[in-house]
Amino acid sequence: MDTQPIILASTPDVPPLIRDRMKAANVDGQPVLLAVEGDLNEHGQLTPVWLIVMPDRVVSVPAAQADPIIGPFTFGQTEEFRLRGTVGSSSLQAMVDGLHIDLIRFTNTHRERFQRVLTQLKLLKENQALQPQPLTDPDPRFCQTCGLILPSPNSPCPRCVKQGAILRRTLRMLRGSILWVLVLVGLMVAGIGLDLLPPFLMRILVDDVLTSKKHTNWLLWLVLGLAGASLLRAAVNILIGRLSTFIGTRITYDVRRQLFDKLQQMSVDYYDRMEVGRLMTRCLSDVDQLQGFVNQAAQGFLINILLIVSIGGMMFSLNPRLAVYVLIPIPFVIGGTVFFWKRIYPKYFKLSDSQSKLTSALNSILSGIRLVKAFAQEEREARRFTHHNEYARDARRRVEMSAGTFSPLMAFVFGLGGLIIWYVGGRDVLGNKISLGTLMMFLGYLGMFYGPLSNLTQLSNWLTSFMTSSQRVFEILDTDPGLHDNPKAVKMPALRGEIEFDHIVFGYDPYNAVIKDVSFTIEAGRMIGIVGRSGSGKSTLINLLCRFYDVQEGAVRIDGVDVRNIRREDLHRHIGLVLQEPFLFRASVAENIAYGKPDATFEEIMNAAKAANAHDFIMRLPAGYDTRLGERGAGLSGGERQRVSIARALLCNPAILILDEATSSVDTESEQQIQEALTVLCKGRTTIAIAHRLSTLRGADCIYVIDNGRLAEFGSHTELMRQEGIYHRLVQIQTQLASLETQ
Amino acid sequence: MSSNQAPDTRSSIAIRILTPDNCKIFTGVFSLLHAYVEGDDIGLYRGIYAVMAFPVSAPDHYISLRYMDTSGVEHELGVIIDPKVFPQDAQGLLRESLARHYFENQIVRIYGVEWKYGLLFFDVETAQGRKQFQMRWQVDRAQDYGEHSKVLLDVLDNRFIIPDLRDLPRQDRERLTRYIYW
Repeated sequence: MDTQPIILASTPDVPPLIRDRMKAANVDGQPVLLAVEGDLNEHGQLTPVWLIVMPDRVVSVPAAQADPIIGPFTFGQTEEFRLRGTVGSSSLQAMVDGLHIDLIRFTNTHRERFQRVLTQLKLLKENQALQPQPLTDPDPRFCQTCGLILPSPNSPCPRCVKQGAILRRTLRMLRGSILWVLVLVGLMVAGIGLDLLPPFLMRILVDDVLTSKKHTNWLLWLVLGLAGASLLRAAVNILIGRLSTFIGTRITYDVRRQLFDKLQQMSVDYYDRMEVGRLMTRCLSDVDQLQGFVNQAAQGFLINILLIVSIGGMMFSLNPRLAVYVLIPIPFVIGGTVFFWKRIYPKYFKLSDSQSKLTSALNSILSGIRLVKAFAQEEREARRFTHHNEYARDARRRVEMSAGTFSPLMAFVFGLGGLIIWYVGGRDVLGNKISLGTLMMFLGYLGMFYGPLSNLTQLSNWLTSFMTSSQRVFEILDTDPGLHDNPKAVKMPALRGEIEFDHIVFGYDPYNAVIKDVSFTIEAGRMIGIVGRSGSGKSTLINLLCRFYDVQEGAVRIDGVDVRNIRREDLHRHIGLVLQEPFLFRASVAENIAYGKPDATFEEIMNAAKAANAHDFIMRLPAGYDTRLGERGAGLSGGERQRVSIARALLCNPAILILDEATSSVDTESEQQIQEALTVLCKGRTTIAIAHRLSTLRGADCIYVIDNGRLAEFGSHTELMRQEGIYHRLVQIQTQLASLETQ
Repeated sequence: MSSNQAPDTRSSIAIRILTPDNCKIFTGVFSLLHAYVEGDDIGLYRGIYAVMAFPVSAPDHYISLRYMDTSGVEHELGVIIDPKVFPQDAQGLLRESLARHYFENQIVRIYGVEWKYGLLFFDVETAQGRKQFQMRWQVDRAQDYGEHSKVLLDVLDNRFIIPDLRDLPRQDRERLTRYIYW
């Protein structure tokens, strides 16, 4: 029975042209299992090329007749399939006769598609059946509704998240402060009422007191009324400012706390994808935007809307004809403000960029001044600085000149309305159509009218910026933390420490495997070493054991249980990590040692420090164990920091201990002291040591050599030396280097 | 004559310069690029490819010839300083190999740049025709590429090159620098 082929392409089926070419080349003898469209030929021209997968072979057929068919290659003759990324494109390659042949080339647009195809080709090569589901699953990088690329896979789509929904969600945050919000709104209305009062009193003052002199005794009361309105307005402003700050900071405090809790839950993989700087921006400035929302609502756009409506209403009720003249400059006000945001505001980006470049140039020159002088490069650095200085000067000039031209022009436009009213209203006063007081009142309201209008034209910009910030905050709050505890994860209060890497495959970039089918088992209580060149995948094995990442294929097991099925809390409690760069916190030495066991007694802390060879140097510190350390352990030498971190690991008494280049960055004397500490630490635990200095691994029960993501050799030091392979060569190189150093 | 199935473990401290006298370039099995290097332990290198050492400052010179061994580790045969000294057919093969290694969309006009949802939506004319693409508005996605060039990386890591910003019409340049101001 024929089954329908799976088509991954822009067309629902393999085009007749491709089928015809296959027939003409006599490569169509088998049913098609999978047909995938690529978009580049081998010369880098954009043209369709099809990869046709059949039960026992694969062939690449370009749509262009001039381009040759590549293959077919049977799965039997193909040693390996892989993806190779080049500059701006990628290829799916087959290794035949020891040579990598480009089967099909494609732009990076189709990389995910061919990554999935690669997995299937590997299955077919292993005589396994094609799996349609992984091929046709939706791409998690894109929104399934609108197709927009998502900020991170499976995160909410910024386009599909309704703007109204964001606003409603932000407003929901105000629920806890609803009473205060109502008070705030009441104060705003009262404030506007107070704003409308002075021009009204001024009209009475002009018409009934100063011009007609009918009620001269009202003068004092009217002036007192103006002063009272002004004083009350100031009081209301103070209350509005204080209350909006109170509500705003309360919201930012809550949101920042929620964000931090969420960030703590995120997997290491999430931090690989997201720059720390970006996350900090979200935690700091984006959250501040929420406070800005309350401030803006209280003192910005909301008040502006109320002002425009109430003042406009007053003017039209006073004199509709005159009020129409007020509207004449409005298009200029709006046009000018739009021009500002489109043309002038972006210049501020450039100014900010120029200043940061100037700062960074100055910083690098001054902090590297010794190097500059040693290589006599003062003139060159002066030129570099001048270049940045000129850029900063020009950027500043452009901003200041634009703003300097724009502001007086806008002031003129604002004044234009007044001049029109003076002329039209003045004629009405002279013609006794309106009183002078009414004109003065009109001009008073006019002064309050254009400002809010100009502010309101920025509403869409502000709203966009606020929505973007809110969306970025909500995006983190809504993001899946990545690695989940299996609901059926087993509790493991104690571990023996047997570790098994079972055919594991993993790549940080899923398109490039770093670990390729590695398998070995470490018996409980043994000490093993992992060696290999930089980038060979040693530390990645550790990352997988600690479940900072999940394997893509195979399994990592501890005491026979897949790490994905162990509660992460238990897993991490039983694994002690000593890294090349020990991370110490801004806290006391004692707090740093007790980091993994906050309830440790003073005796336990001191015993751990003693065993780690750290006690004596700690006692030489003026404040002993209470000495406060600076950022990242500033105040201690590299060796001392490392011994504190060993004490920290020792105090937790882990069943599995990982030493990741623990002695790489310290001097020989410190290394000896650390080695002594480690000997104590390793006793009775499964220990995995990654080391560049191979001499430190001589006592290991077994050494595993990782090369290019594969397990290349293993055995004791003596066995590996006898094999005369990679390990033997590495030892020889280090011996030569050591003898050169001693000469 | 041997082939390059095993990694080349020669320890070398200087770049080997390849010239027509010590290196023959030709196509071999599976139409792959091959090279025979005179006086070399391996001699015949099969399935090699060319990479530019200075793709911006000297794209026509300093071409590195490389190959990948069976375990996927990359090695260099040597560097050709000036391909023009090689025979015409070898020059053609090198050009083809470079075309296989690089794919960049060359932007000649920018019709629109719009910022939405944290992304910049570009509408551009490229040497291959009109295209729309999206890039994240981040500094690392628009990098300097030589003194007056920029490379824009879209959300899928496709590369869009502006060979010389000064050659763009003023309006196009303004559209770009409104957002790509660094």
